[in-house]
Amino acid sequence: MLETVILDGRTLTPTALAKIAAGARVALDDDARARMVRSAAQVGDPAVVRGKWPFLREGERSHEEVVRAFVLGHCAGVGEPFSIGVTRASMAARVNVLATGSTGCRPVCADAILNLLNLDITPVVPSKGSVGAAGDLAPLAHILRVAAGFGGKIWQSGRPVVVDLTDKLVPLDLTEKEALSMINGATVTAAMAALATHRAERLLTTAEAAVALSFDVVRADLHCLSIEALEARGHPGAVNVARRVRAQLEGSELCGEGRRPDPFSIRCTPAVLGSAWDVLEWVQVVVTRELNGACDNPLVLNDGTMVEAGNFHGAPVASAMDQLKIVLTQVASIAERRIFRMTYGQLSGLPSFLVPGTGLNSGLMLAQYTAASLVSECKGFSHPASVDSIPTVQHHEDHVSMGPIAARGTLAILEALADVLAIELLCGAQGLDLQEDHGVSAGRGASQSRDVVRQRVRRWQDDQVLSPDLRAVGSLVREGAFAGGGGPW
Amino acid sequence: MQPISLDGASLSLASVVAVARDGVLVQLDADARARMESSCAWVQRAASGGLRDAEGRSLAVYGVNTGYGSLARVRIGDADISRLSWNLLRSHAAGVGPIVDPVTTRAMMLLRANALAKGASGCRPALVDSLAAMLNRGVVPEVPSQGSCGSSGDLAPLCHLGLVVFRDDADLAHESGSAWIDGERHSGRDAMKLAGIERLIPGPKEGLAMSNGAQLSTAFAALACWDAAQLVLDAEIAAALSFEALCGVRRALHPAVHALRPYRGAIACASNLRRLLDGSTLVDSLPDKVQDAYSLRCTPQVLGAVRDGVRFASDQVLVELNSATDNPLILLDAEGDNKAYSAGLFHGEPVGMAADHLKLALCELAALSERRIYRLTTGTLSARLPPHLVRGDRPNMGMMVPQTSAAALVSENRSLAWPASADSIPTCEDQEDHVAMSTTAARRATDVLGNSRLVVAIELLSAVHGVWARQDEDPNAVLGAGSAAAVAVLEDVLGGRRPSVIPAEDIERIDLALREGRIVRAVQQAIGPLEGV
Repeated sequence: MLETVILDGRTLTPTALAKIAAGARVALDDDARARMVRSAAQVGDPAVVRGKWPFLREGERSHEEVVRAFVLGHCAGVGEPFSIGVTRASMAARVNVLATGSTGCRPVCADAILNLLNLDITPVVPSKGSVGAAGDLAPLAHILRVAAGFGGKIWQSGRPVVVDLTDKLVPLDLTEKEALSMINGATVTAAMAALATHRAERLLTTAEAAVALSFDVVRADLHCLSIEALEARGHPGAVNVARRVRAQLEGSELCGEGRRPDPFSIRCTPAVLGSAWDVLEWVQVVVTRELNGACDNPLVLNDGTMVEAGNFHGAPVASAMDQLKIVLTQVASIAERRIFRMTYGQLSGLPSFLVPGTGLNSGLMLAQYTAASLVSECKGFSHPASVDSIPTVQHHEDHVSMGPIAARGTLAILEALADVLAIELLCGAQGLDLQEDHGVSAGRGASQSRDVVRQRVRRWQDDQVLSPDLRAVGSLVREGAFAGGGGPW
Repeated sequence: MQPISLDGASLSLASVVAVARDGVLVQLDADARARMESSCAWVQRAASGGLRDAEGRSLAVYGVNTGYGSLARVRIGDADISRLSWNLLRSHAAGVGPIVDPVTTRAMMLLRANALAKGASGCRPALVDSLAAMLNRGVVPEVPSQGSCGSSGDLAPLCHLGLVVFRDDADLAHESGSAWIDGERHSGRDAMKLAGIERLIPGPKEGLAMSNGAQLSTAFAALACWDAAQLVLDAEIAAALSFEALCGVRRALHPAVHALRPYRGAIACASNLRRLLDGSTLVDSLPDKVQDAYSLRCTPQVLGAVRDGVRFASDQVLVELNSATDNPLILLDAEGDNKAYSAGLFHGEPVGMAADHLKLALCELAALSERRIYRLTTGTLSARLPPHLVRGDRPNMGMMVPQTSAAALVSENRSLAWPASADSIPTCEDQEDHVAMSTTAARRATDVLGNSRLVVAIELLSAVHGVWARQDEDPNAVLGAGSAAAVAVLEDVLGGRRPSVIPAEDIERIDLALREGRIVRAVQQAIGPLEGV
């Protein structure tokens, strides 16, 4: 049976959102429902947003006409659609914003979206066109269009189709304030950011497993994992990385202490991977806060005051995503250098490209090229989206966040990083098998990681087709097989 | 259309498009076949130990009887020469990520076939025949898009193709890659069986011949250059409509102005704009306006530089389309017994830099277009057009949100414009110590092209609303000859002069019309050919 995640506007985590993205059921917390009822009652005048969009109100226009034109007029997204997972995460995240009880929306607004999520009805939402400033207006409007029964496409067997949903929708007679509140926040950015932090945590843990394996393959000197040395500098991420990698190398006869200083891709692992953890920790705080924050405008304060502020602006998450991109790229980059080292006979002391009798065989030569190409691609995606801004909406929205671009870039980097780590693990497993031929044993954690690789991929003897191995280990990485398992990607 | 003859010398961007998109047939030119046979005969002699080096030993030829990359130091026995190629195809099929779209894959196949037709690769004509048969019959291998550094060529992508083209004696389905035929996905082996195309057992050097060259980079770049050349014209048409809607000042387009700073692109752009606007009564209709903002006034300077950039990229790609990109090259006219010349023609740098420059050009095309959209939708800047271009008898938001969409696309382009070819990461035990990253550059160029086309679609949608608003105001207003044709075709695409209630759907309609070349075609039918890039 599928797990149910309760949305209460206060405790949503990136991991819970990842479960919803992957299909978990959702429900609204009772207290949150009560808060929503209260805040909606405080709005009083449903035309609280009367000052906005005067052109919608010219002539004899019914309330329904205005709301409909408002929602449809914001359906201006372009480009290829978001994945179902990102769309579901965005839907749930927006409900959680409404559940804060600061937006003046009735619970029915949440119910309409939860109903779609629980019926597995996913709107087709174009992935481009939001600057993440007055929020992710366009993508959220494409979602609301379906929820409100204003047409639009949904996913069916992997295809975008138009379906009559009349019998399935929760009837939704939106006020103008509600229509605005359902789209007025950088929530698609936040949802992508949440999936990104969830994945990043898995990949940084995976990177530690890959590091331990590589340490054994290159017979690393463990002085670089000296806890005392790292504590003397004081960055917590580095200390923790050293502790955990050390633990995985327990029992290793391949690694030693105080033999010789290793090159940076080995020796400086705690500095690089550790700083990635330190950044991720901060990013998780920002993203979790955003998931449970009142990302809307105008806001209904507890005493019923309506406040026009800028809570929709995506800057906090945009900067966090740009920073995360940079450290993830560094993790990929240093992993590639370890792959280079392992496949380089003169540097590793192992056969070139990790296959005996190379010459007729090229072994894992190309795996390193693939890693290099992916790392280079990550560098491109690391360009900080949030440093750009283009004025929009008649001088009014004159500084925007570009958060969705930052978040989409982060997701792209995570896919590349997963494949780079898969290559490091594949090369590491191959290298460890070669080392163990000499009867020297590996660290227990490293050995275990090698065994996980071997569940899906056999040891290379002669050349074979490489890509199925890359895909197989890539799947293991995404499934969390090197990170304590469990849970969707 | 007549089948296109592959001779290694006369492939054009238009013929790439004709084959890759429109399915025009291909065949190997007779002279090219003869050249290929001669160079192949030399390789086969070398492979059978029939050639000696200065010391009287059997001649070592890279990749024929040596290992690859840094493994060139290892000599391969005569008996293993076919296995060497087969191993290359298998171990180098190292791509990851999403599958390349079928059109680009077809372009890559065509380009590889034409590079081999040059006759310097020492492979059998049968390899080109196979690629031609696959193109003609519609066998499209699955090629992962990520993982190539573009040096020594697009090894991984081309080896994924090679697994379908070649086989060994065991002929195992799981070692044959995968391919589509007649709308179904099969193993490479089964797809080729269904197509009735015999898979080849690799001859000497044929692994290299299959894989050494930046053909995936060039395939992306070639299609992007072709589309960019049309998009420049579409952008000029959009700019002309914005000139109309904003009542621009024509003096900025005067030929004498551009003769004083005679960039070829700027001169052509100004000339096209003048022709598009010829006869307009909206242009120059605001007597108090002496000059426009940059997004209108500097259109010839910006789009002119875009034109020059697109032309540079296209010229580079055109060279690559008709080049041997293999290593070693077999130069039969060379002196001495050793006709094999190891060099670096596979290196993707020229294509990578061209693609990066193309990206930059398209970024600016879109950036300028977005500023005109902003101006059209901003009441205080638009010479009294309705705010957000809201008009019509049904409630709508006009172009308020599409302008934001355009801004997002432009900003994304700026990130994608990061020059991939400026990066390099050493590979292959430091033997391949500078690589091109051309594949990434070219893939990103395709992304930027798609984004930029959407921005132009949004400008066309905004500008046509602006023009309609002017015409609502003054039914006697006359449009320029080109603008009028553009408005007519847009009215057809959009289903009349209706308000844009669901902008995404209208943008999609125009984007499709742009992809089909409808708008530029209609305009050229009305006023004759526009000056191309």
